[in-house]
Amino acid sequence: MRQENVIVEIRGLSKRFGRTAALDRVDLTIGRGSIIGLLGANGAGKSTLLRHIIGLYLADSGTCTTFGVDAGKLGPAELGRIGYVHQEGELLDWMTVEQLIRYVAAYYDNWNGDLEARYVEDFAIERKKRVGTLSPGQRQKVAILLAIGFEPELLILDEPASALDPIARARFLDLLLQFIQDERRTIIISSHILGDVEKVIDHAIIMRDGRIACDSGFDALRERFARVTLTSLNGPMPQELGIEGVIACQRDDTRAVLTVRDCTREALAARAKALHCDIEIKALSLEEIYAAIAG
Amino acid sequence: MLLEIDHHSGVPIYRQVMRQIRQQIMTDGLRCGDQVEPVRELAARLRVNPMTISKAYGFLEAEGLLERRRGVGLFVADVEGGKQEEIRTELLAQAMDRAAVTAVQLGLSEEEAVEFLRKHYSEYSLKGARQR
Repeated sequence: MRQENVIVEIRGLSKRFGRTAALDRVDLTIGRGSIIGLLGANGAGKSTLLRHIIGLYLADSGTCTTFGVDAGKLGPAELGRIGYVHQEGELLDWMTVEQLIRYVAAYYDNWNGDLEARYVEDFAIERKKRVGTLSPGQRQKVAILLAIGFEPELLILDEPASALDPIARARFLDLLLQFIQDERRTIIISSHILGDVEKVIDHAIIMRDGRIACDSGFDALRERFARVTLTSLNGPMPQELGIEGVIACQRDDTRAVLTVRDCTREALAARAKALHCDIEIKALSLEEIYAAIAG
Repeated sequence: MLLEIDHHSGVPIYRQVMRQIRQQIMTDGLRCGDQVEPVRELAARLRVNPMTISKAYGFLEAEGLLERRRGVGLFVADVEGGKQEEIRTELLAQAMDRAAVTAVQLGLSEEEAVEFLRKHYSEYSLKGARQR
């Protein structure tokens, strides 16, 4: 990756909380123009990693550089290019939504009023309501607006859509795709709702126990795994199918359903012909891939 | 460019885009010298990640189906005969494989299968002839 396209660079990053190793020697490079899905179970280290990127946590050892600056020393110039929606959704409860928007907007020279107006309309945000009285879903919508209103170059979303209803989630994904149409921008999104994330991400980072279990282009990751259905065209299939990389297999005499990794379609198709079988190859969902890697 | 994306098929979106553009080039839906829609425009319209489109275009360019004119954009290349034949064979093989498997599964003899294909072929080629 060319240096000017590197947004975040993490080398040997470790962080402990008491006796728990939250991050364990993490190496990661994040490039411009991607939507990156950060996936992993609760406690895998996702939020901790995101907080290091914006300097909310400081590393015990190793380095984290954001926009070329040590993340612990980010100043207004860099922070003004980063939008962050955090899990807890803490907002100033005593303000009205309108007051809160104006308050946050005042910090940014480049606050986009048109974008705000469109968003408020699309997501049916009630400006006059007091923030403290909002439902969790409405709070999340407001938090997202506050993070995107100044059109940051780096948008960090930590479980941003968990409280949104399905329609708002679909709108939210559309919003991300619109946002990324500007190639200078980058989005990192951590989420449990894998079915949503897989529609928009082009890169996947899977964490397990404070480490990176997988860091891969999403298409490449998807193509590493497949569900293969073989149906014999005449007579029973041999016991030994001669297919490498099988991680799960269900079969009877004339049919077999296999989950495979690292097999090319061409090799599978050739094998099926040799076995005199019909073959159907399907991609796994992100959820299934996740289970195969992190499970 | 009329492309249709199926988010539920399990086929990676860049492959869906490649297949449809390839098909359109082979069937004259896109002609040599036609400009293809810019990455960001197409991505916005199809509501997909722009990386996906640029990846599909990149592969099609490597295959020689698209060519980049610097500062202008991507255009449908003049695909030479050998390459055309190769793609045509591949598209046909995929479709014929499915048909052949179904015929074998249903226990048709080779003659019956060929007869069936002939019948269907004549139906479509007549329609095609009338349009042209």
